[in-house]
Amino acid sequence: MNLRARPARPVAPIAVAVGVVGLWWLVAHNGGAGWVQLLGDVVFGTLLIGVVGPWAVVARARVTVRSAPADACAGLPVDLQVDASTRLRVRPVEPPGPEVFVGPARRRGPAPDRITVVPSRHGLHGAVTVDIASAAPFALQWWTRRVRLALPSELHVAPRRGRPERPRTEAAEESGEVHERPRMDAGLPRGARPYAPGDNRRLVHWRATAHAGHLMVRELERPSAGPVTLMVDLPADPDEAERVAERALGTVVDLLATGAPVMLGTLERSGRVLAPVADRRGAGRRLARAVPAGGSPDAGGAGGG
Amino acid sequence: MRALDAVRRANRPGPPEHSLRLRAACLGTVLVAVAACASVHEVSPATALAAAALITVGMAFSYVTRTRPPGWVKVLIAVGASAAFVWFFHSVSSPSVDITGVENPLTLLLVSVLVVHSFHVPARRDLLFSLGASAGLMAVGGAQAIDLRFGLFVVAWSCFGLWALTEMWTSASGGGRISAAGLVAALTALTAAAAAVFLVLPAPVVASRVALVSRAGAGGAVGVPGALAGDSGTPAQLSRAGSTSSPSRVGGYLGFAGSLDTALRGTLGNTLVMQVRAQRPSYWVGETFDTWQGQSWTQSRRTTTALRFGSPFVLPVPVGADPVGQADLQTFYIAGATADLVFHAESADELWFPTQTVFAGQDGTVVSPIGLGSGSIYTVESQVNAPTAAELRDDTSGQTLPGTAQAEYGQLPHPYPRVLALARSVTARDTTTYDKVQSLIGWIGSHTRYSLAIPPLPPGADTVTQFLFGDRVGFCEQISTSLAVMLRSLGIPAREAVGYVPGGYNPITDLWQIRADDAHAWVQVWFPGYGWQSFDPTAVVPAANPSPGATALKDVAAALRRVPWVPVVAVLAVAGLVAVLVRRRRSRPPTWAAQVAREAERAGRRAGRPRRPSETFAEYAAGLDALAGNGSTTWERLASSVEASAYGGHEPPPPAQRAMVAEARHTRVHRRAASGVGS
Repeated sequence: MNLRARPARPVAPIAVAVGVVGLWWLVAHNGGAGWVQLLGDVVFGTLLIGVVGPWAVVARARVTVRSAPADACAGLPVDLQVDASTRLRVRPVEPPGPEVFVGPARRRGPAPDRITVVPSRHGLHGAVTVDIASAAPFALQWWTRRVRLALPSELHVAPRRGRPERPRTEAAEESGEVHERPRMDAGLPRGARPYAPGDNRRLVHWRATAHAGHLMVRELERPSAGPVTLMVDLPADPDEAERVAERALGTVVDLLATGAPVMLGTLERSGRVLAPVADRRGAGRRLARAVPAGGSPDAGGAGGG
Repeated sequence: MRALDAVRRANRPGPPEHSLRLRAACLGTVLVAVAACASVHEVSPATALAAAALITVGMAFSYVTRTRPPGWVKVLIAVGASAAFVWFFHSVSSPSVDITGVENPLTLLLVSVLVVHSFHVPARRDLLFSLGASAGLMAVGGAQAIDLRFGLFVVAWSCFGLWALTEMWTSASGGGRISAAGLVAALTALTAAAAAVFLVLPAPVVASRVALVSRAGAGGAVGVPGALAGDSGTPAQLSRAGSTSSPSRVGGYLGFAGSLDTALRGTLGNTLVMQVRAQRPSYWVGETFDTWQGQSWTQSRRTTTALRFGSPFVLPVPVGADPVGQADLQTFYIAGATADLVFHAESADELWFPTQTVFAGQDGTVVSPIGLGSGSIYTVESQVNAPTAAELRDDTSGQTLPGTAQAEYGQLPHPYPRVLALARSVTARDTTTYDKVQSLIGWIGSHTRYSLAIPPLPPGADTVTQFLFGDRVGFCEQISTSLAVMLRSLGIPAREAVGYVPGGYNPITDLWQIRADDAHAWVQVWFPGYGWQSFDPTAVVPAANPSPGATALKDVAAALRRVPWVPVVAVLAVAGLVAVLVRRRRSRPPTWAAQVAREAERAGRRAGRPRRPSETFAEYAAGLDALAGNGSTTWERLASSVEASAYGGHEPPPPAQRAMVAEARHTRVHRRAASGVGS
């Protein structure tokens, strides 16, 4: 991926430099004035270094990602801390992101050497692709090079949380053997514990509260529920696959909120995986690894996985 | 529409430039360029000062209004620039203005544009334009510069320009800085690129009919118009024949007079006499002599013709000259008082001179009616006929010089039987004039020696006899005279020419620098088909008894004299200053706490109480206070703040940090002064 440095558009400064130097030498050579020719040599040297010098800077520049989160969500910005050997203009390409400057700055104080990427789709990224550019030392012409920055740990980009779907029942359930899920506040008392925000007020154990001097709630032992298995098959079309993944995540999160154990079945590069997910992050990671049945998804292509 | 869009895009205002440093650097380049033009008289000092003041005000105004430039400023700039262009075209459209007359209006046009433009420089792109325009202005000044002093402006402009460009990068990259190593690498590469091009490119040439410059400098009136004068630096004083008692001639040279005494040669010195911009190096002829009198040369054709038509003077074809040749333009920049001779490459045919009259002799000598002092400039076009050796060998037409010229240029004061015998023996196998000349030059080169340190010949002694059959040691006049007499004894027309050798070439200014000790005498031999051709026998004569040490010292001294000390010293001084600043900056502790600690340790070391390795800073500070013995606890208090910052995370605000550093420095200095202890 480390491509050669190339002049960034517009390349007009190069043409202007060639024209200026050519015209200058023409005039100087035929004018017979040594100082003019010498000045032309200085101008040539300056334009040469100003136009071609950034090539050397960009070619030698080193950028590494110092730290990056392991989890992200499609559509939300992700900050990556980077180290740059020189001042560079960085534009994330895959995942895309806004253009920023990184590297040593003249101003004292901590430099915000971070780049922000905004993944548009779910996927697993082991690296990010960026365009680095520089016009050092004279800011006359920008040169750019596309590099791939390895991430210290894989970045799991979960899909957005889509609208949940009622999971389709198995054939046995469709024939009338549907198990009703117990209410959250149902079950046998197991003990009491201090109240925590979010606890159902119906669970307040007034005797224990009076005894303890602060609100106590009952802890109920619920009957174990059978796990809900959610099989996710992503279609080949990237947009459609993204929508499917979003709906799957929404459904999983909803199911987890009801307290039901969820088994998530996805197709990963290593093969089909059916495993329980305990929380939203786990579900997001699983869906980040998911690939379409017929081929690799567009989003995960950059990261491998 | 695409072109229109491109124009709109190009005129779209860029983001305002907030960097004050960048503006200061660009202002510096522009001011240096204006000063450079003033130094070569392209603009008057008053104009330069006014322009500098206006540009400075304009730049300040642009900075203040950079975020919201007033609309009327653009109108003002458009009107001002248009007026400047109209004035420029009006100035150069006169039929009497040649190409050289464009330079001053062009300079004023550039200065005017820079002045009006300086009031609307809100963005980086506008500053870049100022930078480019200053380069153009420097080029205009450089076109007129004829000495190395212009290098000061080039160095200053380059420094400001580099500063501006690096600041441009800082601004464009949101605060990026170039490391010292990067800057050194860039400068090295820049210098290498410029030097490589400088070495590879051919020398500039004077395009035909472009640089026809003439200007009167410091001179004065010649006592007798048309006479040779000015050899002692005073135009009113006529040239005299050289004598042992009065060797005060141009640079000590006795030749630029009505006669040339070959019995002695004065001390020439090394002062710069003139500089020549020419298409090719030549022997710059001042005058020629045709009559040999045994010890001195004189001119039989002393009458001159006054040419009164003003520049360009069409000079008459000298006797025996070939009027057809290759045009060769030369511009002479007189650097010091010299004779009123108009020097030129051989066979001058046209002259641009700052007077309405010049005097032309029949031998090609051109005499100025005014003294030629520092600042005088004139341009000559010569017809240079440079045949090959084969062509000269084939030139056996048998023609002779017209009229009495054949006898005049073959004249000898008395028969030289020994010289004739020698010449015949040397040229016995030669059939052509050219071969005879070359054989005689070869013989002189292998049998004689060159030296300036010879005593004057006694009165009445024959120079040629003394040189050829005596000690065979002499200088250029004696060597060339001997060749001329040998040629004449063989019946070949020859004459003595005096002037200057091409001199040293200065690759910076593209000028041939002629010094007083470049004065020279050589021989011109007449060939029927090619006119007078120059031969320099002295060039093949080795020096007499060369002393390696003295020669080396002389070469070193000459090289040192030619070093442009002012720019070199300026560059070294700037480099040294930068190195000192960088070193100080690097040696400065990075934090205020480290600075305070360093001050304390310096104070302790001077008091003979260096910090022990096992000692904490607080302990050390307490020791210093105890050492002072006046109950002061300044060091302890400072140490407490330092340790609170280093280990407690209690960072004081920046003003307090600065105050503590200043207090530490003050304590170190004043305690030492008070008690001898840093103390």
